[in-house]
Amino acid sequence: MPLHFGPILEQWPYLLGGAWLSLKMAVLAFTGGMLIGLTCAALLQFAPLYLRRLITSYVTFATNTPQLVQIYFLFFGLPEVGVVLPPLGAALVGMTFNAGAYLCEILRAGILSLRSAELEAAEVLGFSRIQVVRYVMIPHVMKVMFPSLSNQFIIMTLGTSMASVFGVEELTGRAENLGAETYLSVEAFSVAAVLYLTLSLVATFMLIAHGRLMYRIKARLL
Amino acid sequence: MLLAACTLLAAVDSTARTLEEIIASKRIVFGVNPNLPPLGLYDAKDQIDGFDVAIARKIADALGVSLDIVPVNSSDRIPFLLSDKVDVVTGGMTRTADRLRVIDFTNPVNTEVMGILTTADKPYRELKQLDDPSVRLVQVRGTTPVKFIKDTLPKAQVLLLDNYPDAIRAIAQGRADAIIDVLDFVLVYTKNYSTKWRVVDAPIEVGYDCLGIRKGNTALTQRMNKEIAILHTDGFIAASWLKWFGHPMLHDPTVGVRAPAR
Repeated sequence: MPLHFGPILEQWPYLLGGAWLSLKMAVLAFTGGMLIGLTCAALLQFAPLYLRRLITSYVTFATNTPQLVQIYFLFFGLPEVGVVLPPLGAALVGMTFNAGAYLCEILRAGILSLRSAELEAAEVLGFSRIQVVRYVMIPHVMKVMFPSLSNQFIIMTLGTSMASVFGVEELTGRAENLGAETYLSVEAFSVAAVLYLTLSLVATFMLIAHGRLMYRIKARLL
Repeated sequence: MLLAACTLLAAVDSTARTLEEIIASKRIVFGVNPNLPPLGLYDAKDQIDGFDVAIARKIADALGVSLDIVPVNSSDRIPFLLSDKVDVVTGGMTRTADRLRVIDFTNPVNTEVMGILTTADKPYRELKQLDDPSVRLVQVRGTTPVKFIKDTLPKAQVLLLDNYPDAIRAIAQGRADAIIDVLDFVLVYTKNYSTKWRVVDAPIEVGYDCLGIRKGNTALTQRMNKEIAILHTDGFIAASWLKWFGHPMLHDPTVGVRAPAR
């Protein structure tokens, strides 16, 4: 079967706009997820038992049900009780809810990796609390968590594709639209795949640079 | 491309079975699309059934022959006819000028109405009113009306969902104001909701679905026309439609073409 990329490539600004939205969604949901994750991971260390149980239930539920089902519930379930979220809103809330649970687990593992001897040593050396966090905790925890956090971000970037089911015109949705309009679905999705790959590689590269500069984490792209 | 393929196939000289040969062989072969419920579908026993099959059965009975059903799909239904694998083809066979160059059509069996489905509280009376930034349409991603809306109603907001049940639910839940599509096929999903639905009176386009017959097989076409006329007159077509679609046919196929609203 001969492939005709011309009509798809002509529409590159349309597809690029979709890719840009995908990236924005991933960044927003990741940021929201980090706030939830940090709060939950911290609370798990010292909160009362009932609160810890509540957080554990949330993490168990969110990490053991598909994200698509979670967003479906937000989009089509909530209107039954009078809450109508817009498509992008429902997708972002769902992705943040889901990411929060995964990030809580990643951050918790990071906190658990801290050894009390390190903190005691810092205290003995006369570090203030802020100094302990800045010079002891963050460098250690980030080294442990950085690969997992980066993976989670990439997974979330690619995961934005499911928002097309709920009417969000991100990259996958736009590729489907172009495919239907031109009858060139294979070509449209091939171009979308290349754009996703580019997004992931750019994100990975930036994460690696960030990790090296900020936490002296040695990682390579290839 | 499809048309080119069809023309090519038509050029291959093969002879369609005539009415006489069909009656002599005591069987008639109908091509039915089982993926267009409720026109054609697979029943619980995995047999092809539906509105098209009901009509085919009745016609076979009238001819005194047995009925063979061959599953076809939207892209191969005309090639099936042109290669004489079927005598008659159904399955949303809308009569179009392009198709008429390749095959013959009988008189219409049913209509397909492309129109506007909205709710009783919305003021829309005609298509033009929908070309407004405050109008929220919901459509199914990848279907033909999407392009039509892009060209005709560029100002309207369009929400694209993945399937018809979700699109109808979006209107019921107040997420969208209307859908433009072949209403015969979407109305079936409205029954799940207590919403007061309303079909805008002016149809956008009426398609006439006929039986497709091999070009020049005139005796067969004429006989089919006679049988279709009987099934219209005795109410069988209307009753079958009601049975399979759950609502009466939106536009009477025996009445002449209505001017499109656009």
